[in-house]
Amino acid sequence: MKITFNKRDPVYIQVVQHFKEQIASGKYELGQEIPSRRELANQLKINPNTAQRAYKEMEEAGLIFTEGNNPSRITKDEQVLRNLRTELIEGAVDRLIAAVEPVNIPIDELIGLIQAKYEEQRGEQR
Amino acid sequence: MIEVKNVTKKFGRKNVLQGVSFTANKGEITCLIGVNGVGKTTILNGIVNLTPMTSGEILIDGEKLTKETYEKIAFIPDAITMLPRMRVREAMQFMQDFYDSWNNERAEELLRFFKLKKEDRISSLSKGNVAKANLLLGLALDVDYLLMDEPFSGIDIFSREQIADVFTSHLVEERGVIITTHEINDIEHLIDKVVLLDDGIVFKEFATEEMREVEGKSVVDVMREVYRG
Amino acid sequence: MNNFLKLVNFELGRFIKVYFILAGITVASQLIGMALIANDYLEMFNEEVYTNGTSIELFVEYYGEISLLNLQYSQWFNLPITFAVAVLIIYSFFIWYRDWLGKNTFIYRLLMLPTARINIYLAKASAIFLMVLGLVALQVVLLNVESSMLKWMVPANLRADLGIMESIGGLHSGGSMLAVIIPTSFIQFLIHYGVGFMVVFILFTAILFERSYRFKGIAYGVGYAIVAFVVFFAPFVVEIIFGRNYLFPTELFILEGILWIVVTGSSIWVSNYLLNKKVTV
Repeated sequence: MKITFNKRDPVYIQVVQHFKEQIASGKYELGQEIPSRRELANQLKINPNTAQRAYKEMEEAGLIFTEGNNPSRITKDEQVLRNLRTELIEGAVDRLIAAVEPVNIPIDELIGLIQAKYEEQRGEQR
Repeated sequence: MIEVKNVTKKFGRKNVLQGVSFTANKGEITCLIGVNGVGKTTILNGIVNLTPMTSGEILIDGEKLTKETYEKIAFIPDAITMLPRMRVREAMQFMQDFYDSWNNERAEELLRFFKLKKEDRISSLSKGNVAKANLLLGLALDVDYLLMDEPFSGIDIFSREQIADVFTSHLVEERGVIITTHEINDIEHLIDKVVLLDDGIVFKEFATEEMREVEGKSVVDVMREVYRG
Repeated sequence: MNNFLKLVNFELGRFIKVYFILAGITVASQLIGMALIANDYLEMFNEEVYTNGTSIELFVEYYGEISLLNLQYSQWFNLPITFAVAVLIIYSFFIWYRDWLGKNTFIYRLLMLPTARINIYLAKASAIFLMVLGLVALQVVLLNVESSMLKWMVPANLRADLGIMESIGGLHSGGSMLAVIIPTSFIQFLIHYGVGFMVVFILFTAILFERSYRFKGIAYGVGYAIVAFVVFFAPFVVEIIFGRNYLFPTELFILEGILWIVVTGSSIWVSNYLLNKKVTV
């Protein structure tokens, strides 16, 4: 696991965001065990307090859960996963719209462009 | 908690510290930042009574420092505080002889972590390895508070990374750490709290995550504002 | 107490190599000196008696019998002792300053030990005392060895067998270092080493003044030393100024004993204060 942190957003939020992306993209499966707070701090080279904070946020958001003294796991709740996907996609679309708005591009053209670029990128990845 | 209250220090006619106040909590990494000569080292020396303060008060868990305090606070200066002719093993033995808080298991663990050899003489170690040995002697004490003076200065990049790893590990977890630095870049996301010093006073004291969250500013952003403004 | 002993052990260990070299020089120089002196004496004897035909009685009358005194007045004997004394005096300064010198300033560690800081002071003083007394003991042993050497090398009719104390007692004052380092009476021994150790305490206190206040501290330290000496020697000073003896020797001795305690005690007390409140790395 490797995250390049920017210096202006809270580190814990960047960690949470990273986890959200991993879960939404399926790289973390539902119910999968995740590193302990200490291991995470060590892997990401962050302060253990920050790792703790990130886990607390995720736990409160229902993204992860901990039973007793067992290691924390990714949620098993499909609904959470769906919500997460929606949240991430909507967030991305919001940012896209905000970015293209000043250019005043017609919606059809934008959709066409998105389709073309998206397929082009997926093709490259394959 | 370490409380530094309105501390002043004069060297001759020079006022090095002119009323410095800040606190450092247990379980947090507090970073004293300021250009060289701003009095960071003097503050650390003052906390462990290695140099008397002209006025003001320093409390550790609400109490003034006594000889017993050295079992719960460790200061790691920027140069190793052992005789150069000693072997690493002898330096460790010295610490074990005098400190009840010496944790030999942890010392051995650190030895492996830093890849140091027990039979090497301190005088024969590279700069980076001296810094690591120095850190080992402080970190292997089971103390509540750790003070480190410029742990990253003047050593190679690999040693720096290794030392930075210490801050993300159980070695400092739950302890209160104060480190001084004039170079924040490498460790920005490691620290909990920043105390910016200049001209012998505290310019600003803030929690790093809160600063990012509320004002969207990095530590360097704040420093730029404070020092240029 | 335990930490104090560990510190003494540590301080001794730091100087032990130099100390053994000092002891080695002393042993070598004195034994070689004894051999050469006895040899010279016998050569002279051979020359006078067998070559020049002088009678043994006349030779002995003219040159005297050989004894430990011949060695004790020689530079073979006195130089190494002077050297050792000089080294220990210099080390009494260096035992402190070495902790502040260089990049690896050991004073950080010493001051941060979880033990009363006065233990550092007392341990350094004890290390000096032990090393001094160690050399004195070595000297006593050496004198016995030298006495045996003499017996082995020189026939009985040419030598005067003096006991160790006898040989020291036979020295005229100022002629040999030995009279200073091993006085013949116990009281005298107490006085010599009592004053000596007191001087070490005063010196250490002066050094701590310097280490606490740096430049100004030199003046404080010198001032403290002067006051300490004036107090200790006040009874003598008074008697010299007024030209008469106010006290009987026993009274003077007791008074000096009290003043010794006052001066030594205040040196330790002041040092304790400086170490805890004023000293700086």
